[in-house]
Amino acid sequence: MSNTKYFAKAVFIPALFTLGACCCDKDVVVAPVAPAPKTQGDQVAPQAVASVALVSEVYFDFDRSAITPEIQPMLKTNAAWLTANPDRKASIEGHCDERGTSEYNMALGDRRATAVKGYLVQLGVDPARLQTISYGEERPADPGHNEKAWAKNRRVHFVEK
Amino acid sequence: MRIRTISITAAVTTLLCLLLLPFTIRAEEANEYIAIRKQGAGRIAIALDRTASKGGRESEWAGSIDGTIRSGLDFTGLFNLLQAPANMRNPQGGALNFAALNSVGAEIYTGGTMTKQSGKAVLDMEVYDALSGKQLMKRSYSGEEGRLRAMGLQFCADLVELLTGRKSLLFGSRIVYISNRNGISICDFDGQNVEHFTASRAISMNPVLSPDGNYLAWTDYSSGKPDLYIRNLATRSTVSVGKPGVSIAPAWRNGTDELAATLSFEGDQEIYLVKPNGMISRRLTNSRGIDVSPTFSPDGSKMAFVSQRSGAPQIFIQELRGGEARRLTFSGSYNTQPSWSPLGDRIVFSSVQKGGEINLFTINADGSGLLQLTSGSRYNESPSWSPDGSMIVFMSNRQGGKRLFVMNADGTNQRPLVLKDGEQQQPNWSRVK
Repeated sequence: MSNTKYFAKAVFIPALFTLGACCCDKDVVVAPVAPAPKTQGDQVAPQAVASVALVSEVYFDFDRSAITPEIQPMLKTNAAWLTANPDRKASIEGHCDERGTSEYNMALGDRRATAVKGYLVQLGVDPARLQTISYGEERPADPGHNEKAWAKNRRVHFVEK
Repeated sequence: MRIRTISITAAVTTLLCLLLLPFTIRAEEANEYIAIRKQGAGRIAIALDRTASKGGRESEWAGSIDGTIRSGLDFTGLFNLLQAPANMRNPQGGALNFAALNSVGAEIYTGGTMTKQSGKAVLDMEVYDALSGKQLMKRSYSGEEGRLRAMGLQFCADLVELLTGRKSLLFGSRIVYISNRNGISICDFDGQNVEHFTASRAISMNPVLSPDGNYLAWTDYSSGKPDLYIRNLATRSTVSVGKPGVSIAPAWRNGTDELAATLSFEGDQEIYLVKPNGMISRRLTNSRGIDVSPTFSPDGSKMAFVSQRSGAPQIFIQELRGGEARRLTFSGSYNTQPSWSPLGDRIVFSSVQKGGEINLFTINADGSGLLQLTSGSRYNESPSWSPDGSMIVFMSNRQGGKRLFVMNADGTNQRPLVLKDGEQQQPNWSRVK
């Protein structure tokens, strides 16, 4: 195999992956760009992130409440913020898109909020500083009736207290 | 030539009538009359005569009664309402002219008179077999002017019972629901007589009246999070199930004074039995993931509910005395909101479908006989049976906003309830007057 061919492949294959990732990206995670906190294991180093703002939204797949690798950095940012601001508390609101039915979505919003709280507690945040509340599909961030709106509504919303 | 044309037309009409008339029998010994028809066969053709009166106030009452009876019978979806011919009644009194009904094609004739007796309205109603001219029912209803609607509806209930052999629980029933303008509201079965229960500004959800009508349970956010409330309607005292997490989706268990609801204070969303005083009686489910939306068999011995235990939400049934839950729904990947028919045989539920529509289905409690009731009409949710199991109320946004609709149990005759308080959702059909 010639060097040129090898080079072409080296460029082409990652390009394909990037393109593919863009096309498959159903559940768009739009998060403010925040520097990833320095971590020691799962423990957050507070001094490094004292100036970091709380990430207000993290997003979920349809009918899912799992903490995906995509949202872990943002939750780590929030854990760092809470560690750096020990006098503050956070309310964790679980929300769903309008699809599905209201009672099930109330339960799903609860699962999302509880999953996020559990992850933050794992990162060392005192559970007493975290309050969860489910709004189900009652308070959409985007009132639209399409996948773009739904993706924005399947979220956990952080509120500083 | 002309006479001949008419006689041929008459002969054809008579023949058609004979062919179209469903087979009816009379149980002579019990003095009962029940129209026997195949399921799905046509409606009962009934000629409604205008209620006779002497004029003045009595005429107004008669007109009001006619409207109530006509819309009440029409609501059931059981009848084909026909205009009684003008020459049916002899103005001088005497026998009814049943021959005049031949051209109308009616099976049943009903008519009556309205009189004023010591200030009260008195309605005398008669029902006849149109073919034989035999009287099937003769009943008198009386009351103050304010009870005209109740009198008309009582006649409707008596007539339905006479013709179907089953006691009609429809006309006294009411529907609780959420109005986006007025919160928890309640209306008669047909959308009339709307009342508002709460003036809470907080989000309110899933109101349900207890089978005895003494309690109302619902979820609202007045405490800042979704808590369950139970109000004693007589004393107006309200208790809350103030547990951490969510307390949602209440359903009363038939034959008991308890309700079931999903609570998440132990970390997972599980279904618990709760007493009317708000105390938890016992936990009913025990599986990782969401368990929600309980509904009970008529005898209260079984519960259908939504569970995430197999991945996507599906409906399961479990015995309350214990044992494994059995999965009921296998078609579709998102089935929720079960409601168990008061007749015990079928369960109606909503299914989120691939194209994005939400449609209603019924299925037998043994998992057989899946039947789709709605299609091509956007979101159809929150189905709830009428107390006699003959109809289903549900929310649909097929006309834009969220509105309450009713349909017959087989999905026919879908139409909106006329309610004027903005958008409505989460209806629950109660037996309570």
